Amino acid sequence: MKIEKLHSAKKIAAQLLLLILPACAIGAYMLWHINQYYSVLNNQWVKHTIYLAAGLITGSIFYNFRFRFISTFIPLILLLLIISKIIRIVFTGEFSAFYASTNFFIFFFLFIAGWLIGWGFARLRYFPIILSAVLLAIQIIVVSKTTDITTQKLIIAFAPVLVFALYIIYTAELVRNMNDDEPAFAWFIGRKLIGFALVASLLLILIFSFFNKEFKAIEKEFGGQGKQQKEENKESLTKENKDGTISNKKDMGMSGGRKSSKRLVFIAKLDNYFPGTETPNPLYFTYDYYTKFDTLTQTLETDSLMPSNDLFQPDPSKIPLYFTQTDSSVLVKAKGNLKRKIVTTEVYKALLSPKEFLAPSTAFFCQPIAVEKEYKQQFKTAYRAKMYVSDLNSAYFIYNPAGNETLENFQQQRFEELRKVTSWNNEDRNFMNYYTFIPKGDSYDSIRALAQQLTKDAATPIDKMIAIRNFFLSKDEDGQPLFKYTDNPGIPGLPSANKLTYFLFENRKGYCAYYAGATLFLLRALGIPARVATGFLTVDRSDKNKGWYWFYEDQAHAWVQAYFPGYGWMDFDTTVPSTEQQQSPAPDGTPPITVQSAQFVSFGKVLNVDTTKKRVEMQVNKMIFHDKVFELKEPVKLDMDVSIATINKDTGSVPLSELKNGMEITALSFSEQIKNIIPVDSNSSQEIFSKIPKPAPIDEITILDTEKEKQQKKEIKKEKEPFSLLGLLWISLAIIGGVILLILSTPWLIYRWYRFKALQHSNSKRKAYWSYTSAMYLLNQLGFSRDNLSPLQFAKEDIDPRFKTNLSTFIQAYLKSKYSSEPLTSSEDNIVTGFYPSFDRLVKSQIPFKQRFNKFLNFYRTINYFIKPKI
Amino acid sequence: MMEQQVNTETALQNIQRLTDNIETVIKGKRNQIKFVLTALLAKGHILMEDNPGTGKTVMAKTLAQSISGNNDSQSVNFKRIQFTPDLLPMDLIGTHIFDDVKKEFIFKKGPLFCNVLLADEINRASPKVQSALLECMAENQITMGEVTYKLDNLFFTIATQNPVEMEGTYPLPAAQLDRFFIKIIFGYVDEETELDIYKNYLGINNNLNNIHQVLGINQILFLQQQSENVFVHEEIIKAVRNIVWATRRHQDILLGGSTRSGITFLKCLKAYALVNGRTYVIEDDVNDLCQPVLDHRLIYRNKDAKANALAGIRNAEIDRLSKLKISN
Repeated sequence: MKIEKLHSAKKIAAQLLLLILPACAIGAYMLWHINQYYSVLNNQWVKHTIYLAAGLITGSIFYNFRFRFISTFIPLILLLLIISKIIRIVFTGEFSAFYASTNFFIFFFLFIAGWLIGWGFARLRYFPIILSAVLLAIQIIVVSKTTDITTQKLIIAFAPVLVFALYIIYTAELVRNMNDDEPAFAWFIGRKLIGFALVASLLLILIFSFFNKEFKAIEKEFGGQGKQQKEENKESLTKENKDGTISNKKDMGMSGGRKSSKRLVFIAKLDNYFPGTETPNPLYFTYDYYTKFDTLTQTLETDSLMPSNDLFQPDPSKIPLYFTQTDSSVLVKAKGNLKRKIVTTEVYKALLSPKEFLAPSTAFFCQPIAVEKEYKQQFKTAYRAKMYVSDLNSAYFIYNPAGNETLENFQQQRFEELRKVTSWNNEDRNFMNYYTFIPKGDSYDSIRALAQQLTKDAATPIDKMIAIRNFFLSKDEDGQPLFKYTDNPGIPGLPSANKLTYFLFENRKGYCAYYAGATLFLLRALGIPARVATGFLTVDRSDKNKGWYWFYEDQAHAWVQAYFPGYGWMDFDTTVPSTEQQQSPAPDGTPPITVQSAQFVSFGKVLNVDTTKKRVEMQVNKMIFHDKVFELKEPVKLDMDVSIATINKDTGSVPLSELKNGMEITALSFSEQIKNIIPVDSNSSQEIFSKIPKPAPIDEITILDTEKEKQQKKEIKKEKEPFSLLGLLWISLAIIGGVILLILSTPWLIYRWYRFKALQHSNSKRKAYWSYTSAMYLLNQLGFSRDNLSPLQFAKEDIDPRFKTNLSTFIQAYLKSKYSSEPLTSSEDNIVTGFYPSFDRLVKSQIPFKQRFNKFLNFYRTINYFIKPKI
Repeated sequence: MMEQQVNTETALQNIQRLTDNIETVIKGKRNQIKFVLTALLAKGHILMEDNPGTGKTVMAKTLAQSISGNNDSQSVNFKRIQFTPDLLPMDLIGTHIFDDVKKEFIFKKGPLFCNVLLADEINRASPKVQSALLECMAENQITMGEVTYKLDNLFFTIATQNPVEMEGTYPLPAAQLDRFFIKIIFGYVDEETELDIYKNYLGINNNLNNIHQVLGINQILFLQQQSENVFVHEEIIKAVRNIVWATRRHQDILLGGSTRSGITFLKCLKAYALVNGRTYVIEDDVNDLCQPVLDHRLIYRNKDAKANALAGIRNAEIDRLSKLKISN
C-alpha cells in the first residue's frame, strides 16, 4: 500500500517554515529559560533545542503522510525504550552510564514532545490553541520556581510566549486556508516569514535593549562566557551574584568541588588562641549545615527544622552600621558548655556579598562595622561576630602539625579530653535519631560494615573518628595513598549513597563533598551524631599577622561536624590533601587594617553644634558599651569632642557644618581612654556615663536618614520588592485573561468606534463616509459578506430585501458625495443624515442578541474585513 | 452653468426615451441595451457574442430604426451584412465598375457606407474581410485606391459572432477586437420573459415593424458630445490605471491591456454613467464595465484564468475603492 501525502509539498514546506520554525524558536527560548532554574539540564539548551527540533520536524513531516497516530506513536515509544534499555546494558558499571541514560532520558522526553507537537500541527485544527495554553502553563510553573521576581523578569518570561501564541493561532489558520496553487505562493510564504522575522527581531531588540543589564547578569551567573567557565562554575561551591559578589550556593547544595581560581573572598581576624599561648587556633568558617538525608532524592539537604538549631543567619546588609543583632535562640540552644569561651571575629568582605554571614560555628552576634577609608576599595563591608567556641575545636585535625610542638600537644590534649565521652545515653532521643539517621537498604549496609570493620579496635568515639581519619589517609599495598583528591571525579551532582559506595570501595577519588558525605555516613552508622557543614576552610599561612586569615575562592569547603556531649559540635575534616595541584599558598597580604573596635557607640539626636570649638552636644537614647546594649529610659546629654571625627552621610563624608540640630546620628569612639574602662555586669548606664571622659573623644559620626528620607528609600525598596507566589499567579492569569479579553472584544470595540464616528459627524460628506463604513463593518461582522459584489449591488440584491432597509438608496447618495463634483441635493442630504441610526437599529432588531454576540466574538471576520482580497 | 444643466437633463431624457423604445421590442435585456447605448455614445462599436437566435439582429435593427436620419421622415441608414467564408472585401467596401455612358470607372459604394452597420456572424468571414473593416471602424473613413471616402458622422457597428468554438469560424485578430469598445454575451432571457415573448411574439414582431423614430441623428451626436462632459473622479481614473496595470502583471494573462484599452475604458465609463442617468462615474460603473470592455482584449494562459483572472483584479480594485475615504 502506498502511503499518500495529506498535503502538497508546498503546504508542508509552508508548515515547516511558518509553524515549525517559530515553534523551534520558542522551544529554544523556553529551554534556555528553564535551564536557568533547573540544574539537571546542565545548561545545554542548544543541544536540547536540537532534540526538540528533531522531534518537531520529523513528526510534522511524518504525519503529513496518511499515517495513523496510535499505530505509529506506540512503536516509536517502544523503540526508544528499547534503545534506553540497551544503553543501560552497554554502559553498565561505567560512570558514563549515568550521563548516557540521563541524557537519553532528556532526549527521549524532548523528542517525544516535539513529535507530538509536530503531529498536532499536521493533523489537529485547534492544536495551536492547545499548544499556546500548554506553553503558558509551563512558563507559569517555571516562573513560580523563582524566588525573586521582578516585572522585568515577568515580561521576559511571558512576552515571547504570548507573542508566539498570537502568531501561531493566526498563522496556523492562515496556512490551513491558503491556496497552494496560487502562482505567487512563494512570495506569500516569504512575506509572512519576513513579517514574522521583523516583528520577532523588533521584539527581541526591544527586550534586549531594555533588559541588557539583566541579561548580562544572567549570562554571567549561568556561565555564558565560554565552556571553560561553565565547567568551573558547575563544580563550585560558591556562586557569583549579579553584582560580581560571591555567595555560598544554597540551592545547589554540595554539588561541587573546588574552584582553582584564586580570588580573595574575604579576610577575617579571629581572636582564638590555644589556651595560654600566643599560637593562633584557626577555625573553619561555617555557612550552612546539611543535616537531613532525603531518601527519595538521595541527597543531603539543609533543614531549618533540625533539632537544637544553632545556625545564625543574619543579613548584615540589613543591619544599620554599628547596630547589633543577637540570636537568642542560638544562645539557648547552643550545645556544650565545657571548655567554652566567647570568641570574636571580624570579617572584611572582598568578593563576598554584603548579604552573606560567615563565622565559625555557633555564632550568635553580628554587628556591621565601618571599613577604614583607605581600604574601602578592597573591602566593601565588614562585620564583627561573636560565637561560642570550645577550646578543643580547631581546624588542625588532620593537618600535620609538622613538628610544631604546641600543635602536637594540643592534638594529644584534645584527644585525651574527648576520650571522656563514651556514649550519648543522656541525650535527647529526637536529637539522636535525627543526627544519626541513615536509611535502610543494601547500599548502606556495606557502609555500615565498613564502619564497623574500621573501628573494631577503637573503644571511644574519638578513637573511632581517628580510625576513620586514618582510613582516609592510609596507603595501599604499593605505598600509594588509598584516597586521592580530585576536582573531577566524573560523577555529576551531589553524591548519593550509590555514588558514595562507589567512592568508598572502588574509585576512591573525589573532592570535599565526597569525603564529607562518606564520613557522615560512616559516623552515623556508628551511632555518632554528625552533620555536614559548608563554608570555608581556614589556613594559617602567615606568621606575621597572627590571628588574620585570608580566604580565597578555592577554600570553599565541606566537612563534617560530630557532636560530643558537653563539648558541642567538633569540626572533623577527612578530606585528603590534593596531590595533583600543589596548593602554593597564596601570599597573604600585609596587615590590612588597624582594627579599631568601637567600644562606645551612642545613638541619638544632635542638640548643639559648635563648629569653631569642634564640639557637638547630643542627646543619647541608646548606647552600646563594650558590646552591651543599653536602652536609656531617660535621655542623657553627652558633650563630644569631634576635632578628629569624620562625619559620614550615606556613603560619603561631609564637613561638620552639615551637622544640624535635631539630626539623628550615631557617634562612636575608638579611644583608648574609653577602651580601658572595663565595665562590670552590674553597671548601670548612669554609672558608665559618669566614667566617660568629658568631652567624650569621638572618632566617627554617622548621620542617619530622617524619617522623610527613610520613607523615600522604603518606597523605592517597595517598588523593587518581589511579588508573592500567589500574587504572581494572579498577575499572570490577569495578563493572559486581559490579552484574551482584548482580542475577543476588539471587533466590538472597532464597531463602537465606527458607530461613534457615524453619529458624531454632522458634515454630510463625512457622515456619509462613516455611516457607510460603520454599516458595512457591521454587516461583515454579522456574517453578511459582500463577496464579489460591489457595495451597491450587495445592498440592492442582498441586504435591502433581507432587512427591508434603504441601504442601496443611501449608498447611491454616498457614492455621489464620494465621486461627484456636484454637491448633494437636499433630498439626498436627508437620506444621508437619517440613514444610520435607523439602519443600525433595524438590522440589529432582526438578529437575536445571542447570534450577534457570537458573531462579534469572531476575530477572523474582522481580519477578513481589513485584509485586501487576493488578486 | 444653467445651459449645461438643461443640456444634461435633455440628454438624460433622450437616453431614457431611446431605451424605452428599444425595450418595446427587446424584452428583458435592459443591461445589454445599456451596453449597446454605451458603445454608441462612446463613439465605439460593439461585439455581441452568442448562439444564433438570441435576438442580436433584432437588437441592431431596432436601434437603427429608432434613430431618424437627416431627412426626418426616414430612419438612419441601416445596412446588414451576413458574413460568410467566401465574402470578399469589395463586397463590403464597394467596387469600381465601368460606366458605359461616361466611359470611365466609377466607384460603387458598398454596404459599409451607412450609419448603423450590422455585421452578422463576423467571425465566419476570412481574416482578409475582417481587416477590411479595420479602417472604417477606427477612422470613420474608407480608402479605395487613391481616394479616401469619408463616412457619415454617425457610424456604429454592431457585430455579432458565434462562440469561437463553433465550426467554420475564424477567430478575430487582436487588432480587430481592439476596435470593438465593448464585447458582451447576449445571453438568453429569463424564464418568465421567455414565456412572455412566446405569448406575444406577433405583437413584438408588429412593434418591430412599427418602431418609432425617437431621436434624430443630431441628437445622438449631441449625446456623444455630452458623454464627454461626464465627471470622472481622479480615484476612478487611478482605478482604471490600476486594473490595466494589474492585467499586464498578472501571471495568467499573457497579453495585458494596452493604453488604448484604458482610454477606451474611460470613454465607456463616461458613456455608461450617462446611460445610467448620472453625470459622474461611480465605482459600480467600473465594476459593470470591466469585463465587457477588457475581457476580449486580453489573452489568457488557460480557461481557468479566463474565468477568474480579470474578475479577481476587478474585485480587488472595487474593494480598494469601496473602502476609500475621499475627503475634499
